[in-house]
Amino acid sequence: MQIVVGVADMKVSNQPEDVLVTHALGSCIGVAIYDPVSRVGGILHYMLPDSSLDPVKGQENPFMFADTGIPRLFRECYRLGAQKSRLLVKVAGGSQVLGNQEHFQIGRRNYAALRKIFLKNNVLIDQEDVGGNKARTLFLEIATGNVWVKIMGQNTKPL
Amino acid sequence: MSLIPQVLKSLKTLPPFPLVAQRALLLLNQPEVSIQELVDIVKFDPAITANILRISNSAYFGLRREIHSLHQALLLLGTQELLKIIIASGATRVFCRPTPGYFTERLGLWRHSVSCAIMADLLAKELSLAEQATTFTAGLLHDIGKVVLSLYVDQKFTQIIEAVESQNLSFQMAEKMVLGIDHAELGGEMARLWDFPDRLRIVISLHHLDRPEAFADDLVLLVYLADLLVLMFGQDLGVDGLAYQGYPEVLRHFQLRERDLERILLKFGSNWQEAQILFGLMGNQDGVQCAHRG
Repeated sequence: MQIVVGVADMKVSNQPEDVLVTHALGSCIGVAIYDPVSRVGGILHYMLPDSSLDPVKGQENPFMFADTGIPRLFRECYRLGAQKSRLLVKVAGGSQVLGNQEHFQIGRRNYAALRKIFLKNNVLIDQEDVGGNKARTLFLEIATGNVWVKIMGQNTKPL
Repeated sequence: MSLIPQVLKSLKTLPPFPLVAQRALLLLNQPEVSIQELVDIVKFDPAITANILRISNSAYFGLRREIHSLHQALLLLGTQELLKIIIASGATRVFCRPTPGYFTERLGLWRHSVSCAIMADLLAKELSLAEQATTFTAGLLHDIGKVVLSLYVDQKFTQIIEAVESQNLSFQMAEKMVLGIDHAELGGEMARLWDFPDRLRIVISLHHLDRPEAFADDLVLLVYLADLLVLMFGQDLGVDGLAYQGYPEVLRHFQLRERDLERILLKFGSNWQEAQILFGLMGNQDGVQCAHRG
């Protein structure tokens, strides 16, 4: 079954028939993690880097922000039997409009926030397709752990 | 080779802009609009009346009482909100064609237009600018040129995207280079043919700020910024992605910092969900389809 992960949303699964998909990432970031042994995986689609912007919102919906959403994604996968040492981590999104490096940089800050959290927690990114100005859709197949990125207007490619 | 003559020729067969929406557009210029004027505009169009009732009862407008009549809707919502609804209900007929040059799904352009209208509305409130219905409408109609240009963009897509990628051009500049005309300019021509109010026509033709006169009107800058923020939000993105120019001077003009943009996106995220009902304007079947979209 195809399970759609909305904006500021997260889905995890251990059902082999499931494919998780999150559509049309702009400056947002999609994080797909997968444990090939327990065959547990999940996708988080967060919008903004840091819940200090609005801590109440961050509590109501932790998937809005990198700092509140990423730990939840990992925890939910552990709950279904995933182990940190086995996790494959793939990241897509964080696009930017054209122009200089100082303004309209939410995509870049979203990515920087993720790097910081991963560094602190010793998580390595296995593959990523980040930045630029394209719209991306991210898929994760639970049966195999295969991840694809579809760039709007182009073919789907494995990540 | 320029396609301008061909593109302009295709405007000869442009269907008229829906009458009810066009009459409502003219009211945007009036400082005061009476309820009777609005009733006179919509009363002979049962489809729009039905839409008004449905949208009025949607969560987006947050009314506690259920609305059963047009008059009641007018009284409770006020004329500015009603103008938005009437224009959106009418405009939907223009946006119901697929635009394969820009979007792979049929309602893509409509979804982007509605998002941009809502974002413009939100920005106007954030920045304490008046003229709510005008702002909403300008956001809704800014990309109207894509309805016609889509066909030509579709034919020359490979060349356009190649220009974007190799020369780091915005999608709009690449359209201009490859086709001789871009969607903003063409939208301005359509606005002229449809007798849109001047200010609305100017927003449509300048919304990518590619000419200096664009910086003379706050409404142009606001719609530009709304468009950019909606692209960053994602969800309604097309094949042109985020390939548009970010102008920091617009942020300075409105005294907005990066953190403010984040705050606005956060707010938009909540509004956007509630506003999904507006996608249903296209009629029952699409309404149901769109309501269930993630």
